[in-house]
Amino acid sequence: MNAMTDIPSQGSEGPEVIPVTAMFNPQIMMAGSALVALLLISFIFLLTRRRTSSKGTALLLVGPPDAGKTSVMSQTAFGQPWQTQTSMQINMSAVTLSPKKMFPVIDIPGHPRLRGQFTEHLPSSKAVAFVVDSSTISRNAAAVAEHLHLVLHALTSLPPSQHQPALLILAHKSDLLKATASSQNTHTLAINRVKTILERELEKRRASQSGGINIEGLGDEGESTELGGLQCGEKEGASFKFDEWEGGEIIFLGTSVLQNGSAKEGSSNGLESLQQWLQDNM
Amino acid sequence: MLDHCSISHKGGVVLWSRSFTPEAEQLASTAASPVNSLVREALIEGRTTEEKYEKDGYALKWTFLNEFELIFVVAYQRILQLTYVDDLLSAMKNLFVQCYQPVLAAFVASIHNVSTTLTVQAASFDFKQSFKTWDAYFDKLLKGLESQAALDRKSRLRSTVRPAVVAATPPSESDNAPALNPESTTDEQQIALNVQALKNRLKGRGGRRGGKVGRVGSGRDSNTESDSDVQPKRKAKAKTQRKWGDEVPTEADMATLDFSMDKPDSGSENIGSVDVQSLVDQTSLGTRTNDGMYEVRDWDFSKEKDGADDAIANALKPLDSKVSSSEGTLGTLGSIFARLTGSKVLTDADLKPVLEAMKQHLMKKNVAMEISDKVCEGVGESLVGKKVGSFQSINNAVRVALSTSLTRILTPKTSTDLLLSIRTKLSAPLASNQQRTPYSIAFVGVNGVGKSTNLSKVCFWLIQNGLRVLIAACDTFRSGAVEQLRVHVRNLSMLGINGAGDSKGRVELFERGYGKDAAGIAREAINYGRDHDFDVVLIDTAGRMQDNEPLMRALAKLVSVNNPDRIIFVGEALVGNEAVDQLTKFDRALRDFSSASGTGRGRGIDGMLITKWDTVDDKVGAALSMTYVTGQPIFFLGCGQTYTDLRQLRVSNVVQAILKN
Repeated sequence: MNAMTDIPSQGSEGPEVIPVTAMFNPQIMMAGSALVALLLISFIFLLTRRRTSSKGTALLLVGPPDAGKTSVMSQTAFGQPWQTQTSMQINMSAVTLSPKKMFPVIDIPGHPRLRGQFTEHLPSSKAVAFVVDSSTISRNAAAVAEHLHLVLHALTSLPPSQHQPALLILAHKSDLLKATASSQNTHTLAINRVKTILERELEKRRASQSGGINIEGLGDEGESTELGGLQCGEKEGASFKFDEWEGGEIIFLGTSVLQNGSAKEGSSNGLESLQQWLQDNM
Repeated sequence: MLDHCSISHKGGVVLWSRSFTPEAEQLASTAASPVNSLVREALIEGRTTEEKYEKDGYALKWTFLNEFELIFVVAYQRILQLTYVDDLLSAMKNLFVQCYQPVLAAFVASIHNVSTTLTVQAASFDFKQSFKTWDAYFDKLLKGLESQAALDRKSRLRSTVRPAVVAATPPSESDNAPALNPESTTDEQQIALNVQALKNRLKGRGGRRGGKVGRVGSGRDSNTESDSDVQPKRKAKAKTQRKWGDEVPTEADMATLDFSMDKPDSGSENIGSVDVQSLVDQTSLGTRTNDGMYEVRDWDFSKEKDGADDAIANALKPLDSKVSSSEGTLGTLGSIFARLTGSKVLTDADLKPVLEAMKQHLMKKNVAMEISDKVCEGVGESLVGKKVGSFQSINNAVRVALSTSLTRILTPKTSTDLLLSIRTKLSAPLASNQQRTPYSIAFVGVNGVGKSTNLSKVCFWLIQNGLRVLIAACDTFRSGAVEQLRVHVRNLSMLGINGAGDSKGRVELFERGYGKDAAGIAREAINYGRDHDFDVVLIDTAGRMQDNEPLMRALAKLVSVNNPDRIIFVGEALVGNEAVDQLTKFDRALRDFSSASGTGRGRGIDGMLITKWDTVDDKVGAALSMTYVTGQPIFFLGCGQTYTDLRQLRVSNVVQAILKN
């Protein structure tokens, strides 16, 4: 190590002070610089390799607080329904679908002050799962819609060079709903409910925005903070529909995690639909 | 005594928890549990420096273990004054780490596992299995601390507070015999104790009561349910009670009682009562036979037969001795080496100078002193025990932590989309006999901060969005206030919307002259607005100092009578330390007085409008102080003299400005 550093320093002084000994030094210098360059290039190469390998593989779990994101993560990544509470920080873990197929799952806290962190992880994600508590959605629909709006906006405003992650909406805790018709599955019931309520709320948001002038719009230099991402369909007056959303297809899945239901092990943990989808798409 | 106790990861996974009462147990599994509220309203908000958090009659205390990102929480009834909770938390922290370090390290690694190549997956984490011995340790710890506290308390019996424990939870409340009192007891004592216990139970069944003083003195509360087994033996003897009333033997009694109801427990998480001997044997046995990969075994080997006791004794020792022993030996060279290898753990001493510098910096940016103190303390708490990366200086680590903490504080937790909430209210379905009431916004604040000016700016913005606005001149005190608003209204009605003509009829002033009751004028204005189909009513109030109680009462009356949809506090960006005082007093006065006169609970401030933003350059600390104090969002910034000089707060910019040198 010492010898290495000594030689270039001699070399740098060499040409000016003692031109005779400079005969050798430039060669060594060149060799040294070549070596350094090689190392640098290989380092950068390795770094970018690593980045590309981890690019666009993750499953991002977002959604309002108390929706069950951490439960979904613990169930998919660890296979265990852990007891959970409000998260304060991001959890990252790896899901193994098969020995060869692994992908990270990132669980973003839903607290309004922390939820913005999902944008940092968006570039590295392949799918974004918006987890909604379908049993309480009717009560806090506005807040959920606001959160979803943020996600939709972030998805549509990704640069076109980037691969756009797929958007899933998980109607979670569907086991807490009581199926009205005996034939109806609680999962489908939860999906329908979440879908209609969210569509209604998002339409409200869109309507209030379409006519509105933002505060920033008042000044001359204000950049636009308009939260887009709600455009859909060709018709102007049409109301918001998930099926016609401009950002692409949105997949709805009904899920549930049994907190204490270790009795029915493996047979039905309520997450098959998600796991099936992950098998097929990740 | 305690209601709930839990150990959880910051990411939201609960490693271990126990409820001591059925109510707490029921509550713990819902979203509204006290622990959840604690995380949501105190920890995420950055209020970690406060002593305790109170919610729904519970008081919660907590401590962090940053090395493994754990939170230890203890919840108890608010009316109780438990002196040992802090000790319990720190002891739990030490003991838990001692016992389960490998499991915890593996768990934390797997929950931060970014690269998919790591195969921690093989070790699945079954917490019930991993921490099954913890229940016994915890019982022991709690027992020791409670008896300690009882001894301390003996001298001041009057302050003794004893809850009657609900009888339905014998397994979770089980006592292990404390090793300190191996005294033998007579049958008579036992009987008398039982009698007393039964009395207690009959008296205070289901509820909690305080101030139970007297013959039993500082009797253990837990005896109330252990009596269920021996009830039939009761023989009333008033004399015997008095004889050994304020003595320790109560605990010894407990020991005997527990021996009698000792059950063969097989390591499940709700172990029944056990004595010392069987406890120790059982735990060591369990680890040897059951799970080989499970690390507690190592720890057991290193300890003597009485390992649990030793560990608890260690855990009860003050923290500093431990720290000094773990540091020190290698000196500076060691710490440099440790940093190079990326295993340097931050300590209080490392952080202190850096945090002090940060505090000075924040204060230079016009953050109130109190707030910068708290913020820095919170940052320090979140960093102690963390490992610093190999090339990261402490300074840098603190900076990053401060930046995230500031972002978290400034990011609004409620929607700041005023327009949406106005539209939502206006389009909400109504009963047929009801008339649509306009959306009302009240502007409050101290004198001369620019309430009227910024009200007219907000008015302009609303008009531009096609809403009809009524301005209620409720400043009936300062001369010229009404005229000022009249000029604004004239100007606003002459300006067009989107360049199309004037906006006549879109804005009106509602005035009743000077010297009248502001609350009444506001009431009339809202009624007028309802009848004349206005969308929004902006209520301008007179400025007042926060210490002037009569005026604050008047303001609270205005709020409680009219119940405006939004109460916006107008404050200037120039304010320094005063910001905290202004906001807290306004908020409290509004809450206190409006709840006293009106119905239900008091209304506080819903948000802030910061004026004179253009005068402070990058000394934007007022924004931080104000959001920290109330936890409410900043709706607008006033930044100039014209109607268009209204802005929304950009959190990242403010954080940048505050951190800029």
